[in-house]
Amino acid sequence: MTSPRTISFEIFRYDPQDPNDKPKMVTYEITEAPGMTVFIALNLLREQQDPSLQFDFVCRAGICGSCAMVINGKPTLACRTLTANFPDGKIKLMPLPGFELIGDLSVNTGKFMRELAERLQLWLQPDANDIDIHRLESPMDPAEAAKLYELERCVECGVCVSACATKQMKDSFVGAVGMMKIARFEMDSRDTRSAEDFYHVIGNQDGVFGCMTLLGCQDACPKDLPHMQQIAYLRRKMAQTIVSC
Amino acid sequence: MTASSQTQTQKIHDVSSKGYLNPIWAARADKLQSATGLLLGFFIIMHLHFESSILISKDAFYHVAHFLEGSMFSDNGQGFPVTTKFVSAFMLIVVLVHALFALRRFPAQIQQWRALRSQMTIMPHQDTKIWFWQLITGFLLFFLAPVHLFDMITNPEIGPHLSAERVYHQDVWMLYVLLLPAVVIHAMFGLYRVAIKWGITTKRMAALKLAKVMVVYLMIIGIASLLTYIFIGQSLELPVTPFVPS
Amino acid sequence: MKIIYTDSLVVGAGLAGLRVAIASKERGLDTVVLSLIPAKRSHSAAAQGGMQASLGNTVKGMGDDEDVHFQDTVKGSDWGCDQDVARMFAHCAPKAVRELANWGVPWSRITAGDRQVVVNAEKVTITEAEKAHGLINARDFGGTKKWRTCYTADGTGHSLLYAVDNKAIEMDIPVHERIEALSLIHDGKRCHGVIARCLVTGELRAYIGKSTTIATGGYGRIYEVSTNAIICEGIGQALALDTGVATLGNMEAVQFHPTAIVPVGILTTEGCRGDGGLLRDKDGHRFMPDYEPEKKELASRDVVSRRMTEHMRKGKGVDSPYGPHLWLDITLLGRKHVETNLREVKEICENFLGIDPAKDWIPVRPTQHYSMGGIRTNATGESPQLAGLFSVGEAACWDMHGFNRLGGNSLAETVVGGMIIGKYVADYCEKNTLEINTQVIDNSMSKLQAEIDDLLVGDGTENVFEIKLAMQRIMMDYVGIFRNGIELEKAITELKDLLQRSKNIGLKCKKRHANPELVEALRVPRMLRVALTVACGANARTESRGAHAREDYPQRNDKEWLNRTLSTWPNENALEPTLSYEQLDVMKMELPPGYRGYGNDNAVAHPDTAKRETQIADILAELGDDADRYDKQAAIMPFDLPETLRPRNERLSDTIAVSGEK
Repeated sequence: MTSPRTISFEIFRYDPQDPNDKPKMVTYEITEAPGMTVFIALNLLREQQDPSLQFDFVCRAGICGSCAMVINGKPTLACRTLTANFPDGKIKLMPLPGFELIGDLSVNTGKFMRELAERLQLWLQPDANDIDIHRLESPMDPAEAAKLYELERCVECGVCVSACATKQMKDSFVGAVGMMKIARFEMDSRDTRSAEDFYHVIGNQDGVFGCMTLLGCQDACPKDLPHMQQIAYLRRKMAQTIVSC
Repeated sequence: MTASSQTQTQKIHDVSSKGYLNPIWAARADKLQSATGLLLGFFIIMHLHFESSILISKDAFYHVAHFLEGSMFSDNGQGFPVTTKFVSAFMLIVVLVHALFALRRFPAQIQQWRALRSQMTIMPHQDTKIWFWQLITGFLLFFLAPVHLFDMITNPEIGPHLSAERVYHQDVWMLYVLLLPAVVIHAMFGLYRVAIKWGITTKRMAALKLAKVMVVYLMIIGIASLLTYIFIGQSLELPVTPFVPS
Repeated sequence: MKIIYTDSLVVGAGLAGLRVAIASKERGLDTVVLSLIPAKRSHSAAAQGGMQASLGNTVKGMGDDEDVHFQDTVKGSDWGCDQDVARMFAHCAPKAVRELANWGVPWSRITAGDRQVVVNAEKVTITEAEKAHGLINARDFGGTKKWRTCYTADGTGHSLLYAVDNKAIEMDIPVHERIEALSLIHDGKRCHGVIARCLVTGELRAYIGKSTTIATGGYGRIYEVSTNAIICEGIGQALALDTGVATLGNMEAVQFHPTAIVPVGILTTEGCRGDGGLLRDKDGHRFMPDYEPEKKELASRDVVSRRMTEHMRKGKGVDSPYGPHLWLDITLLGRKHVETNLREVKEICENFLGIDPAKDWIPVRPTQHYSMGGIRTNATGESPQLAGLFSVGEAACWDMHGFNRLGGNSLAETVVGGMIIGKYVADYCEKNTLEINTQVIDNSMSKLQAEIDDLLVGDGTENVFEIKLAMQRIMMDYVGIFRNGIELEKAITELKDLLQRSKNIGLKCKKRHANPELVEALRVPRMLRVALTVACGANARTESRGAHAREDYPQRNDKEWLNRTLSTWPNENALEPTLSYEQLDVMKMELPPGYRGYGNDNAVAHPDTAKRETQIADILAELGDDADRYDKQAAIMPFDLPETLRPRNERLSDTIAVSGEK
């Protein structure tokens, strides 16, 4: 075996709560280990070099969506990014743009997603009369269930929001995550909202008609969700909707 | 304080505040932009092909031009050059409608421009870059296309010699040198974007490749035609006499 | 001092916590949820395979009902569970599944007609009933008689958490994110709330509620390698332990999951084996039938994990730089199945191992996975010692899992337990008033403030990260799958030493706000106390039961150890917990202790077992022939539930007679 190489991390550092602090890039060096991920490396850096380094990890398995950051120009999940993917051994880490910065690599995606869910009413709105948990459930087409799960795989990591130039230019734009979720509920046969109801939420310049199809969302999504198809579907659906007002 | 509870509910969006009194205009604007774009895109493809018939021969171009001017409806077989006037006027309207709705997309404030530039620096991304060039070419076309169309309205005569005169002796080639790449890039990537935007195709990579191939192809025939007109123009003596097919 | 008042305070925004919050809010109570992270990032999302509920829709689940689910759960627990609670749970699980369907979970559904499945390494065709078309499907899981695990592909926890959090958002339940509860406010009899620290600003706040529900998950991260999220550090258990009054139950009951990938310890779902995946050794030999001819790969987790370890100890493991491992083979399921029903597994294999599980074998070994132990509660979810303190989900020892939890029963516990206990929490809030004793609040606040000041301005020298790693290694080395007295003694001695050293932690980063080192320094001593309850409980329990396997005491000893370990920490300066025991009453059991049907059959019988069996036979004989299963059950072991959850569950088999396995 060849001796392990040294890799360098250039990390964005800034503590917005410290009035004397200014944004800067700081470089750290670390010895690479086999199978090392950015998660492992950042923890080692915190434990051995700088305990003030802020970042967010929860599941460390690519499931929870906490750890998205910009890694060498690509927004993605840090926990499942192997350091071996970078042959020159140089890794530059930036926090996700477009979110409130908590400090260093930590951003407030949670607040963003909650506000979005409230704004777009991102929950199932079934027929309230049809609910009896003691009785046999209503059947659902197996293909529909499978399709809904495909769309549900979003982990709200915020990558699509950061990768979207439209969103970066226009703060009020809902971004791919919002549209994908609307598309998910629109396709759900249990949801009682009409196309017109959805139109009033998403049929505007901040919604599906503000999207310029730059596809940063689709290209960066760590879950490979079909943004292009779904947003196109939603756009067609909304464009056909007759709105009374 | 980060508690999300503190974010109060501004539940449904007030659409009327977004510049459209009736929310249906959001859909209409998007549809009209795409529809006019589609029309313009296909028009350009046809236009450049017709134009390039000069590569075959002067005769070919002569017949194409007269055919399009409605030669079969005219007694003398010469067609009506006024057709060009009307078509140009119509296209000018289409261009203006397209531009009007496309303007929504332009970064209107300097912060938006900066956000776009910084986005492209921090996270380089192919489709964003392509759109950026559409933005730039769109901006150029906003000025160049009307100039060309006005020219065709006021000066609708088309023919192997007349067009060559325009290109070479009236120095319009300088306009075409800018117009050709701008319109080809804008139109081909515009068609690509319309196709994926409305889900006309889901084969994005193939569509993108086709758009790139089309850009190269249209540039080649466009440049070749332009050069041909320049050569013809050079060979003509002033005042130019219209070409008569043999 | 910032004080926030509410009716129902919930700590932890995973499935269990959110479900309790929803139940509180449904009754019009003011509800606040505290969470370290955004709710949808909670570890509940990581549950892949599914949740058990005896719907009995699929042909392989026909004949399933609450009775069978109850029996599987009790056997799985190695008779360590509270049978009343297991009954409450089994009865409400189908309700929870159906409720979740109405909240948006896209449960995988049954397609009528023939379909091919893999059972015991062979392709089998099963035929689903026409009437079952579109109803909720179920897959096979370890330790169950029927196919009972309802699922959405292999992202069940994700789907559930999103649906439940969406419901909470719809109900406008506030979740205070990035808030860490660090001590309970109590007067020795009643719990009044928590003192919590904001991880961003460093601010300390008192949250005061009529009820306080701890739903913070397990304590897996006291081990170095665990399938758990890195936030599952047992701080919730420490909250209760540090009161000196509340008890923790069965802390030594720690589950090791058979199939976590090597070396990072990320889980691949039990659904892999449930759907027909096999375990193979270094020779490619399928070894589980050699040990467990009946259930093979699908014995309960404790048994499979031990068999794997045994097999590796025989030198049959595959050597790797990270020690020996075995193979999980799901290639025989076919690419289509892997890419639809096991796609999270596929993603994990691709990203962390660089392999394609549809064609390559997955390197796996048993890894810490679940905490059966937790805050001891009675059947209503309330601490027997501190009124107003509730606990639910993995954080609790409500005790439906005893000494081993069945796969698919933890996700189920979060939503079923949350549903049931949520109602009891709401009852409590309605019956009780908010008691505000500023002196008690002040004291708790000052104590935590002093702890923080000491860390920031004190002259400690110990490195918190070193202490944490040392603790995690001790737990790995000496309190693992197989345990023995010598190693456990060693673990206790070393952990006590670490606890002593942790009183002298010094910090390099002196910031009061957003300081990751301070966060660790506050957690590590708490984790050490929790780790000591595990090690001491394990050392004291001189028998083997469920996941607690003593090499020096290999028998399950019902005669002496049919009880629940209770740990308290009455003296805060002590270096180890005080243990006591709560007897399980065989004479009240619906299912007296017996053989589980898998694993070793070597139990020392309890003297009451035979007596209770005769008694049950008598009760049944008295009932007469027309008694149905509900009458029989009620006669043997009546159990209580909130009224709205009592109705019987309708099943497909109630309306049609279905048969038909080809």
